[in-house]
Amino acid sequence: MRVAERTKPDHGNAVATAAQPVLQTTARGSSRRRRGVNREGLEAGRRSTRTLLWILLAAAMVLYGFPFLYLLFTSFKTPIDTIAVPPTILPREWTLENYANALGRNGVLASFINSIQTAIISTVLSLVLAVPAAYGITRYQTLSGRIFIMAALVTRMVPPVAIGIPLASMMAAVGLSDTPIALSIAHTTISLPLSIWLMSSFFEAVPKDLEEAATVDGCSRLGALWRVVIPVVSGGIAVTAIFAFLASWNEFLFALLMTAIRSQTTPVVIANFQTQFGLDWGSMTALAAVYSIPVILLTLLLQRKIVAGMTLGAVKG
Amino acid sequence: MRISDRRFALFLMTPAALFLAVFVAFPLFRLVADSFFKISPIAGGPRDFVGLDNYFRAFASEAFTGAGWRTLAYTLVVVTLEFALGLGMALLFTTLGRSSQIWRTVFMYPLMIAPIVAGLLWKFLMIDNFGLIGTLLHQAGILSNPNQIGWLSDPNIVLYSVAIPDIWLTTSFMCLVLFAGLQNIPGDLIEAARLDGARAPAMLFRIILPLLRPVIAVALVVRGIDAARAFDTILIQTNGGPQSASETMSLLIYRTMIRFGDPGLASAMGTLYLLAMLAVAFVAVSTIWRPGKDN
Repeated sequence: MRVAERTKPDHGNAVATAAQPVLQTTARGSSRRRRGVNREGLEAGRRSTRTLLWILLAAAMVLYGFPFLYLLFTSFKTPIDTIAVPPTILPREWTLENYANALGRNGVLASFINSIQTAIISTVLSLVLAVPAAYGITRYQTLSGRIFIMAALVTRMVPPVAIGIPLASMMAAVGLSDTPIALSIAHTTISLPLSIWLMSSFFEAVPKDLEEAATVDGCSRLGALWRVVIPVVSGGIAVTAIFAFLASWNEFLFALLMTAIRSQTTPVVIANFQTQFGLDWGSMTALAAVYSIPVILLTLLLQRKIVAGMTLGAVKG
Repeated sequence: MRISDRRFALFLMTPAALFLAVFVAFPLFRLVADSFFKISPIAGGPRDFVGLDNYFRAFASEAFTGAGWRTLAYTLVVVTLEFALGLGMALLFTTLGRSSQIWRTVFMYPLMIAPIVAGLLWKFLMIDNFGLIGTLLHQAGILSNPNQIGWLSDPNIVLYSVAIPDIWLTTSFMCLVLFAGLQNIPGDLIEAARLDGARAPAMLFRIILPLLRPVIAVALVVRGIDAARAFDTILIQTNGGPQSASETMSLLIYRTMIRFGDPGLASAMGTLYLLAMLAVAFVAVSTIWRPGKDN
């Protein structure tokens, strides 16, 4: 592990060039390192400058982290304190009342199940469609492949509000209105282009010899893809799955346009708190916290993969 | 029998292509078709062909042109601030090096939060009376009264206030992408510049930014398109108000379709909006991305 970290100092960054780690390893380990001379080229020299920069970072982190912490603190206030004037940062009295109110509401738990169902169906659908497509695009470099990936990227520009209503009426025509399947199909229109893009980047990193060897050994092309290539890019598939899942989990507009009572997801329920129950800020903050914390924890656990996925497409370009 | 590689590639792409054709291209076709009709919002109601009438109505309405300008202003503000803050953070993380890695991870957390939640929590910070920001500024002696700035109620500033959650959510994305780009700048280049006596501003503007140009371009385009489609954060904060001062194009189309029950007009607006986005996308894709090719 330690050796791996040395040669690849920033594993979050899957696209670091080959030249840079070499530079870093030579500088690291030398006595100059303690004084911080040019370890990463851009790294600052003087200690006073570094202290100042750390203070700057601390200030930025506090400002950046505070809004969510305030949401958490508020969710533990009593419902009355939630909208007290003037507001306090910390609860005067810590209580779970807001959580009990929010989760006890009709339809809230069902919305969680809908959110999970929709996100899982959409993730699976995205992967099943994107993996072969991305492979076809990157491995064979045909004209149709190039046209297709362009078209897939252009769909990223389509505003959901423009296709939400026609999609909803299509679903109604086939009897799927207000179902998690209909919504997950809508969510896949968002995540599929992204998944194709990500998977193309991962397939590009696989050496072509690998499946050529497999086909020589008697595998069909489909067999080589399934038995040889897919295991190699399983990490990339995981990254793509995370993105597809998050895209669906956090999506609001399609959910608003395409669901009614049966298949409503939690973001819609959170937004509805505003009108349906007056302004119940306490329950809203509690529900928002419950909905966000699992994905934030997931991020912290899988951060390396997520960073790799986020930067891959953009930095390659 | 062995099919050719070209056929095999096509065979692999077909399911995804069919999916996008049925669930993106076809609804888009419906949208464009609807824009030429006057449609009753009641299901099964009358549907009369009116030619380009909906387009004339869109351009004649102040709501449409206003929303267009607001969307543009909103996008520019969001992308500019995000870029400045994201670059600042990326440089900070790069300069501090490995020891700041854990904080880089923490800095990422807003990316995972649903926009609807982000809008909600910033609304809660900025709202009149029990909003925390006004109170804190008042206690710090900056404001004479906690409600002096009506973040979400003053039509003159609301468009910028509603942009804050968006900026907060995705500065991390800018930072991540720019940080990754910074790692690709060869260290000896920086060292050479330093030996030549380049100072920090010259280093930034003459060396770092030009080298990052492709990364910057991609990041700006990706975020610009997202910001131009912003909906969730604005809807939950102000619903486009007060007096439509924060009504961007997505919100206007949504309200025209759902609230005002005019699908024909909404479709015309949606079509124009889409054409504007595609024009930007086309320029961006053809000049910057070149996906599917090796660099």
